[in-house]
Amino acid sequence: MGNFDIISSLAIIVLAGLIHASFQTSASVLTLLSGHALSSKTAHLRLLRLTGSFIIGTITFSILLLSSLAFLLTNLFPTSTPLIIWAISSGAVAGVGLSVWLFYYRRQQGTVLWLPRSFATYLRSRAKSTKQPAEAFTLGMTSTMSELLFLLAPLVITALVLIRLEPTLQLLGVALYAIIASLPLAIIYILIGGGHTIARIQRWRENNKRFLQFAAGSGLIILGLFVYIERVITYSVRSGGFGA
Amino acid sequence: MNMLVIDVIKRNGRRPNETYDTDKLQRSIRAACLSVRSPEGEAETISKKVAAAVTTWCEKKATVTSQDIRRITSKQLERYHPEAAYIYQHHRTII
Repeated sequence: MGNFDIISSLAIIVLAGLIHASFQTSASVLTLLSGHALSSKTAHLRLLRLTGSFIIGTITFSILLLSSLAFLLTNLFPTSTPLIIWAISSGAVAGVGLSVWLFYYRRQQGTVLWLPRSFATYLRSRAKSTKQPAEAFTLGMTSTMSELLFLLAPLVITALVLIRLEPTLQLLGVALYAIIASLPLAIIYILIGGGHTIARIQRWRENNKRFLQFAAGSGLIILGLFVYIERVITYSVRSGGFGA
Repeated sequence: MNMLVIDVIKRNGRRPNETYDTDKLQRSIRAACLSVRSPEGEAETISKKVAAAVTTWCEKKATVTSQDIRRITSKQLERYHPEAAYIYQHHRTII
């Protein structure tokens, strides 16, 4: 694999990680969790432990999902990934991008997400009852799982890219994806740790929700186009045309 | 328990009506204040004042909806602690 391929693979992973980071379910649950912990007079260190465990839960689940998908795809396509798979994946990613533009937030006040209301109610009630770091860890995993419908697109593209990299680069890719995907949660953690109120965080999220929605949708469409051009068209041209 | 004989019609009418409970209201205001890092004493004082104002407003009515209580509480709380009022009003629309 040439340097250009490695750079373009890492670029795809970074973009997919950024798209993952722009999804808001985990950020919403983390805001709620912090609010409930503060209202029940949780000590500062314990609050940091709870929110930290939540973030570790989301990272763990993202890594598990990505590794499982990569394992599955390696077994399905051991030597090379068929062009049709790249074409289908890039089309699906662009489709999910359009869905994000249209459906990600509900048309009402606040940051009410597309999630089925029963799911949202469950996450809200779990955030309220979470008192132990272990519970916060599983809540982090659950909140990532509840967004799977949208997360699957960037995860599949990342997994498809990862399976064609050297083992050390695969590890680097997984770490890069996980770090980038958890950046917003880390920022919320730092803000809460630094004494900011959840009202300020939530107000910012509400004021910028349309921008975040636009960025996530556009990111997915750009990722779909980039992958289609870079993996389908370029490889077809290199190997002597689409008919080859 | 501090009860007035006023029926509270719950959100969307999905849950059965409840009797108006000042203590329950006070606890939720206090929680909103604490969640925005208001000191405990301040949270206690504000929640008492706001709950009293809302109770006075409710006394003239036979039935109120939970949305009415939320709206009036937010309006009263806004005077003392705008950030707590924001969280009180919007905590159901975070997710």
